[in-house]
Amino acid sequence: MRYTITHRTIYQYSSGVALCHNEARLLPRETPWQLCRPSQIRIKPRPALSVERQDFFGNRVLYFAIQDIHQRLEVTVATEVRVLNERSFNKSSLSPPWEQACQMLREDPDPEIIEARLFRLDSPFVMIHRDFRAYAEPSFTPDRPLLEAMADLNQRIYEDFTYDPHFTTVATPLNEVLSERRGVCQDFAHLAIACLRSLGLAARYVSGYLETLPPPGQPRLVGADASHAWLAVYVPGAGWAEFDPTNNCMPQEKHVTLAWGRDYGDVAPLQGVMTGGGSHTLSVSVDVEPNPEPVKSKKTRA
Amino acid sequence: MIRAAVAYPDELESPSETLVANYPVNATGYDEMCSAPGVLRPHWQEIAKSLEEIGGKELERRHGEVQRLLQTDGVTYNTYDDLHSSQRHWLVDPIPLLMTGEEWSELAIGLEQRTRLMNALLADLYDQRLAIRQGWLPPELIYPHPGFLAACHQSLPSGQRGLIFHGIDLARGPDGVLRVYGDRTQSPSGAGYALENRIILARALPMLYRDAPLRRLASFLETERATLAGLARHHPENPHVVLLTPGPNSPVYFEHAYLANYLSISLVEGEDLVVRDGRVWLKTLGGLQPVDVILRRVLDTFCDPLELRGDSLLGVPGLLQAVRGGHVVLANTLGSGIIENPGLAAFLPLLCRQLLGEDLKLPSLPTWWCGNPDDHGYVLSNLDHLVVRSILPNGPYWEGCQLDDTLRTQLIEQMQSAPYLFVAQEPQLLSTAPVLEEGNLLPRPVMLRGFVVAEDDGYRVMPGGLARVSSGLDTLQAALQKGGISKDWWVLAKTPQRHVSLLRQAHGPIVVTRDGSDLPSRVADNLFWLGRYSERFDGTARLLREALGRLLEWEQDNTDERCLDDLFEALEIPVPPVAQSPRARFFALRQTLLSLLLEAEHPGSMEVIFNGMLRTGRAVRNHLGDDSWRLLNRLQQWIQQPSPELGARQARELLEEELMLVAAFCGLNNETVPHHQGWLFFDIGRYLERVLRTLELFKLAFITARHPGVPLWEVVLTITDNLTAYRRRYRSALHPTAIIDLLLFDEGNPRSVGYQLKRLQRHIGRLQQPDGSPYRSAEERLILEAVSKLQLADIAALATLSHDNPHSTELDRLLDALHTPLSGLSDALTHSHFSHAEVPQQLITMRP
Repeated sequence: MRYTITHRTIYQYSSGVALCHNEARLLPRETPWQLCRPSQIRIKPRPALSVERQDFFGNRVLYFAIQDIHQRLEVTVATEVRVLNERSFNKSSLSPPWEQACQMLREDPDPEIIEARLFRLDSPFVMIHRDFRAYAEPSFTPDRPLLEAMADLNQRIYEDFTYDPHFTTVATPLNEVLSERRGVCQDFAHLAIACLRSLGLAARYVSGYLETLPPPGQPRLVGADASHAWLAVYVPGAGWAEFDPTNNCMPQEKHVTLAWGRDYGDVAPLQGVMTGGGSHTLSVSVDVEPNPEPVKSKKTRA
Repeated sequence: MIRAAVAYPDELESPSETLVANYPVNATGYDEMCSAPGVLRPHWQEIAKSLEEIGGKELERRHGEVQRLLQTDGVTYNTYDDLHSSQRHWLVDPIPLLMTGEEWSELAIGLEQRTRLMNALLADLYDQRLAIRQGWLPPELIYPHPGFLAACHQSLPSGQRGLIFHGIDLARGPDGVLRVYGDRTQSPSGAGYALENRIILARALPMLYRDAPLRRLASFLETERATLAGLARHHPENPHVVLLTPGPNSPVYFEHAYLANYLSISLVEGEDLVVRDGRVWLKTLGGLQPVDVILRRVLDTFCDPLELRGDSLLGVPGLLQAVRGGHVVLANTLGSGIIENPGLAAFLPLLCRQLLGEDLKLPSLPTWWCGNPDDHGYVLSNLDHLVVRSILPNGPYWEGCQLDDTLRTQLIEQMQSAPYLFVAQEPQLLSTAPVLEEGNLLPRPVMLRGFVVAEDDGYRVMPGGLARVSSGLDTLQAALQKGGISKDWWVLAKTPQRHVSLLRQAHGPIVVTRDGSDLPSRVADNLFWLGRYSERFDGTARLLREALGRLLEWEQDNTDERCLDDLFEALEIPVPPVAQSPRARFFALRQTLLSLLLEAEHPGSMEVIFNGMLRTGRAVRNHLGDDSWRLLNRLQQWIQQPSPELGARQARELLEEELMLVAAFCGLNNETVPHHQGWLFFDIGRYLERVLRTLELFKLAFITARHPGVPLWEVVLTITDNLTAYRRRYRSALHPTAIIDLLLFDEGNPRSVGYQLKRLQRHIGRLQQPDGSPYRSAEERLILEAVSKLQLADIAALATLSHDNPHSTELDRLLDALHTPLSGLSDALTHSHFSHAEVPQQLITMRP
């Protein structure tokens, strides 16, 4: 699929900001299944300095500093992406029994497997706990293939939990999400990661976008989409398999990847430190606009 | 492996002298001085002879002198956990710790290798991470450690060393082998203390130090200075190097100020710096000055609230990006805290072979990392003779043999749930060194801290360092948490060494500067308040002295006590209720007055005011002369001295002494601090406080007094120290008009409002205006307003004052007209000159 993603953030301050330093993780990363055109970045007021780099996880980070007094900050990033329908995994992939995956993570000297061990450890938003293990256990029965068990867990989270955008905030602890059985995509991704790590498996957090389809017969609303989040579990020897517990699916061509890390804290879309500003209001709008497939591509599909 | 020099076969017979003969060497373990009771190691023989000549009693006396010298120099070490005791004095034992040149040469090779290894490891961990990918280091040892900062990935420009300055803790085991106990890379303190110890001991014990063939320390700091300057990427001819400190509340702030002074670099706090255009700048009175190199003494996680800890107030937003851009160099680099991880010790032999292609020369304390299942098993079955510690910075530790069943079970559970967060070490009996206690030498466990600094392409090791011992029965671990006692660590040379001091050498062409516009705004702010507190101290002490004097007179002849009421008012303390007997009344009045001297919690007490002086004084430590600093320290001893049984007479004497000291302090600052921008702020602070107090005193004496009249007027003249001047002019007849002329209008009298306003106006006119605006600044307008009001006052109308009609509405109006602009002056100065220090805030708060 081809999309144009437009992500706009506006901060309005009650008093002037004299200086601010910011980090944006709003530039989609390139992956074997995702190609990106150069992004169009519009920042108002104009930054005195902006620099792009790759972070520890390979995400694209844009640092920018605004040195003129301002009461409004607007950051708009528009990127054309092409998502291929060929991710590393699908539901039918073979995978080792999950206990064997745990053992390989502990012992296998393959550099790629060693690197994945970072994602078995606690991270600021996801702390290992026996309650998560207990929740996961009905899915992770002895000798069950890892992907099959994970698909089951994915489905249980989808069925057991209520999507409730008013219940949680970024600061809601994960054990409250588990006990109250409600949350949003970010919470469900964190929960699944906590379950996997509590079993000794490696899992990472993926942030991105998802095309939302309007109700039948109604036009698509521009800017009504939102950021989305899901997770990936590491299958030793095979790679990372993605799961979306909010939609009970494995991400395919409708899931546009932005960045990944240990948890939300590693991939927050816009962070900053400023001098002055008082209180502020924030508005975010996201638009995932499907682009017509070029003729050539259509031919291939046909 | 490094072994200490073993005893010669032809060792001396037991000497007849008492110090060594009575030295009770432990039967087990290794003693640095004696190989057996009464048998000296050869390299101690010279110094033992000198010590015997001096004798135990005289050594004790000299020791007392050393402590006094340290105290007057203000050498302190305080720990974060004691909130109440503000500072501890640094304790030094006068007996040096000796090491032969041969042993040290071998040790130095090992230390240098360890620093090179850690530097290579840092470079790898923040770039290729081969050590992890190849399996030489387990990821569970590195990633969960708070010293590993993912944000610092690839932040070091290629070819630049991350580790510039390295502190290494060492101790010798019973087998005579020196082993490494830990690494200090975040804020490797101690090099400054080592130098200060050396200087002070050499002053107190010249007979020991004069001809001693010991290696000097100063050239090591010269190397550090040159290395820091050499790191600069811009302005190589005159780089701007700063020392970034967490501030006066840091336990080792003394050393930060000392090093900044010794290395001739600016001492700054996070709020003094700002990142603009991707570069780091120092906020000064004259605007922004570029910074090239930062000697970092702030924990790296606190250094940049944008990319590291968002709640840090000690850091500089955008600093890490400035580092990435290559515009500023930090020593040590951000992220170097991972080297302090005690679990690394278990992997160093392999890492050394892999990263350097060498065998590790200097052994570490035997260490097991519990993340490895075999090691974990070993630790569980040998818990009784191991020490378990968390790998986290300042994490807890458990001595296996001390654990009861409950604690043991708890610990085992914790280790089970996250084994990779624990290491175990095999404790060894530390070697002992002689410590002077009550005129005798006693063996106490000793630890060493060595220092390594980058030089050209390699590293250089300090010949000596800091030795630390415990006193009495404290274990060394416990003692060091409280600061411990330090010793001078001598490395013996073949012949006496030339003395080098940094202060006597010029380095290349010198750029002549006058400090002024490059003064950090925060320093100006603190100097201003130091001036205000000094004057407040003086004014309160004078009022209190006068009140106590009146109280004593009243007790003697039961004369009029009424002006005491007004003095209580001026001191802002309540008058005690009427008592039954005059005696009870006396005690009640006395107790209220003395509360200002005795009760530290009393909001207007002398101690509270003094703490304000001390706090602001410490924040500008290296803008004050050494003698000013000694006066401040002596004043502190007086402040803390009063006994609860203090009487009114002794209290007066105490106040006399304190008044002399504060006068000496202000006078000395006038005499020694160059009269540029910094001094202007100090002086403006003093005279602003003085003029406000004088106006308030006037208002009390002539307008609001409950008992106006001669006794109170006399008090006014005494407090302003103008009674003699008045008597010389007017003999003994007190008349309000004459008093007003002397204390309000006489511009030649430094105690008069007229003089004070003139002085303020002159100094405010000399202040640098940050924006270069052609218009008068707010503070200039305010002082102009006050000066004009006074000059335009109608003296004839004021002169209607008389004994019969002492209240004057004209005077009241004038006092108010002067007070209003002057009380706005402080805020105006803050706004124009100090307000750069606004605290940054986060765009979003993310707290998991």
